[in-house]
Amino acid sequence: MVAQLVDPTAAGGPTGAGTASPDFGAPRFPRLRTSLELAVPAGFLVLLVLACFVWPEIYSMRNPVKGNLADPLLPALSPHYLLGTDQYGNDILSRILYGGRVSIEVGFGTVAIGLVIGGFLGAIAALRGGVVEIAIMRTLEVFLALPSLVLAIVVATYLGPSELHVIWAISFFSIPAFARLARANTLRIREQTFMVAARLAGSNDRRILVHHVVPNVLPSLMTYGLLGIGVAIIVEAALSFLGLGVPPPGPSWGNMIAAGQQNLATDPDLLLVPSAFLFATVLALNLLGDALRSRWSSA
Amino acid sequence: MLHRLIRSAALRIVATRLLQAIPVMWAVTLLTYSLMNLLPGGSALVLAGPGASSAEIEAITIRLHLNEPFWDRYYHWLFAMVHGDFGTSYSTGQPVSKILAVRLPVTAELVVLAMLLSVAVAVPLATLAVRRPHGIADRLSLVICMTGLSIPGFVLGLIMILIFAVHLRVLPAVGFTPLSDGLWPNLRTMILPSSTLGFALMCNYTRVLRADLSDQMRGEDYILTARAKGISPWQVLIRHALRNSAFSLLTLIGLNLGVLLGGTVLIEEIFSIPGMGSALIQAVETQDVIVVEAVVVVLSLGVVLSSLLTDLLYAVLDPRIRYGRPAS
Repeated sequence: MVAQLVDPTAAGGPTGAGTASPDFGAPRFPRLRTSLELAVPAGFLVLLVLACFVWPEIYSMRNPVKGNLADPLLPALSPHYLLGTDQYGNDILSRILYGGRVSIEVGFGTVAIGLVIGGFLGAIAALRGGVVEIAIMRTLEVFLALPSLVLAIVVATYLGPSELHVIWAISFFSIPAFARLARANTLRIREQTFMVAARLAGSNDRRILVHHVVPNVLPSLMTYGLLGIGVAIIVEAALSFLGLGVPPPGPSWGNMIAAGQQNLATDPDLLLVPSAFLFATVLALNLLGDALRSRWSSA
Repeated sequence: MLHRLIRSAALRIVATRLLQAIPVMWAVTLLTYSLMNLLPGGSALVLAGPGASSAEIEAITIRLHLNEPFWDRYYHWLFAMVHGDFGTSYSTGQPVSKILAVRLPVTAELVVLAMLLSVAVAVPLATLAVRRPHGIADRLSLVICMTGLSIPGFVLGLIMILIFAVHLRVLPAVGFTPLSDGLWPNLRTMILPSSTLGFALMCNYTRVLRADLSDQMRGEDYILTARAKGISPWQVLIRHALRNSAFSLLTLIGLNLGVLLGGTVLIEEIFSIPGMGSALIQAVETQDVIVVEAVVVVLSLGVVLSSLLTDLLYAVLDPRIRYGRPAS
C-alpha cells in the first residue's frame, strides 16, 4: 500500500519501476498515444456490437441459416454476398454478425456472473476472515486446481448443446479467479482509515460492502473482466467448434470454424473469415484491458 | 545432522505442502464424481439410449451400481481408483487403466515438447527485449505476444495446417506416429501440434519474463552494484537478472499446466493425436462416464501435482526459503 502511495512522486526515478506502465515505443506524443491505445480497441468493440445487434435490425440481412442451396461456396465479394457463402449457401456475413451476437452474449454473460458471484464471495471472505474465509477460499482453490476447459467440456456435454448452457459451464469456472482478485483487493483496503471510520460510524456489513468495498474493488475486477470476456469468447468458440456449444445450423464463430476445417483444402476462406473476427475481437479486448490497467496503475 | 534436517525450513515447507495437497486431491475426486453423477447425462436412462427396454436400463443400473447411495458408490470408486483400478470402459469394454497407459504418454510428450519449445524461445526473446527497452526486439516481442495471446490455439492449429500441410506440403496435416517407430517420424508428426500449443505459452512466458527482467534491471540494487563493478550489460542481464527472474518463470510454468492441459484437448482433436484429450472427447461422445471420470481425475491430479512440485522446487531453489528466512 505504501508503495502505491509513494509511486507517483517517484515515477521516472530508478525506484519507481515497480508499477511502470508497459508503454511501447518512445512516447513522442504521450497523451495522444494513451488515448489512442484506449480509443482504437474500444471503438472497434463498439462498432462490432452495433454491427451484430443493431445493424441486422435496421437493414434486413439474409437469414443466417436458410441459405440458398443453389449458391454454395461462393467466394467473397460475389454479387449479393459480401463475404461469400458457406457449403449450404448461407450468407457468411449474416452468419458472422449473428454468430457475433452469441460470442458477445456469452462473453458478457459469463463475466457478469463470474464477477458478481466471485466478487461477492471474495469480498465476504476478506471482510469476515476466520472460518468463512478459509471455507470459501479452500473450496475455490479446488476449482482453480481443475483444468477448466476440460470441465467446461464435460459440463457442456451433459447439459446439452445450447448457448445458455455454455454460459453456465464457463461462468461456473470463472468464479474462483474473480473471488481471488476481489479478496486480495478487499484485504488491501480493509485496514485503511476510511474503512475504520465507516466501522466506527456504525455502518453495518452491507453498507460497508456496498458503499466502500464495491467502489474500490470494482475497477480492477472490471479490468480483469475485460480479459475474462476474451477468454470466455475463446472457450465458447472452442465448445461450439467441438459441437458442444450452439447447435450446428445456428451460427456461431466456433462452428463456422469447424465448417472451415472440413473445407480447409478447397475453401480456406470459410476458416479464415470467422477466425479473423474471433482474433480481432479478442485482440481488441486484450488491448483495451492492458490500456486500462496501465492507466489505473499510473494514475 | 538429523536435528538440523528436522529444523530446516525447506523441509517444513515440503511437509506442509504435501499435507495441504492431500485434501485438495481428495476434493478434486469428489468434485469430479459428484459432477458426473449430478448431471443428467450419467443416468442409466441416458446411457441405455432412446428406445431401451426397462430390462436393459435395469441391467445398466446394476452394472454401474446406480441403485446404491451416492456416498457408497463414491467410496467404492475412490477405493478402487487408489488401488489402480479405474473400472472398465462402457463403450469398448477395455480396462480404463489400459486406455490411460496408452494415452497418457502421448499427451505428456506433447505437453513437454510444447513447454521446451516455449521456454527455448521465450528466454532469448525476453532477454533481447529487455536489453534495449523500446528497441526493435522489444516492439517485435510485444506485437508477437499480443498476437499469440489473442489467437485461440485451435484456430492457430488450423492455420498452421493450412500453411504447412496444405500449401507448403512440408509436414503431415494430421495423425500421429508413435515414438517406437523412430524419433524423426514421431517428431515430424509432433512439430505442428507442439508448436501450436507452445506458441500461446511462449507469449505468456515472454510477457511475464520481460516485465520481471525490466523491473529487476531498473529497480534492484544488486544490478546497480554489478554495473558499478564494470560488468558488461549483457553479463549483468544474463548472469544476474535472468538468474533471479527464472523463479517467476518457474512458478508460471508450474501454474500454467491446467490451461495447457485444457488446450491439449482441442489440439489433439484437430491433429488427430491419440492422447488424453481425444480420449476425453471420444468418451464424451459415446457417453462413456467411467472413462470421462478417469480422464478428468488424472488430468486434475496432474495439475495439483505440478503446482505442488513447483512449490517444492521453489522451496529448494530459493535460498531465502532454504535458509529459513521468509521470502518477501
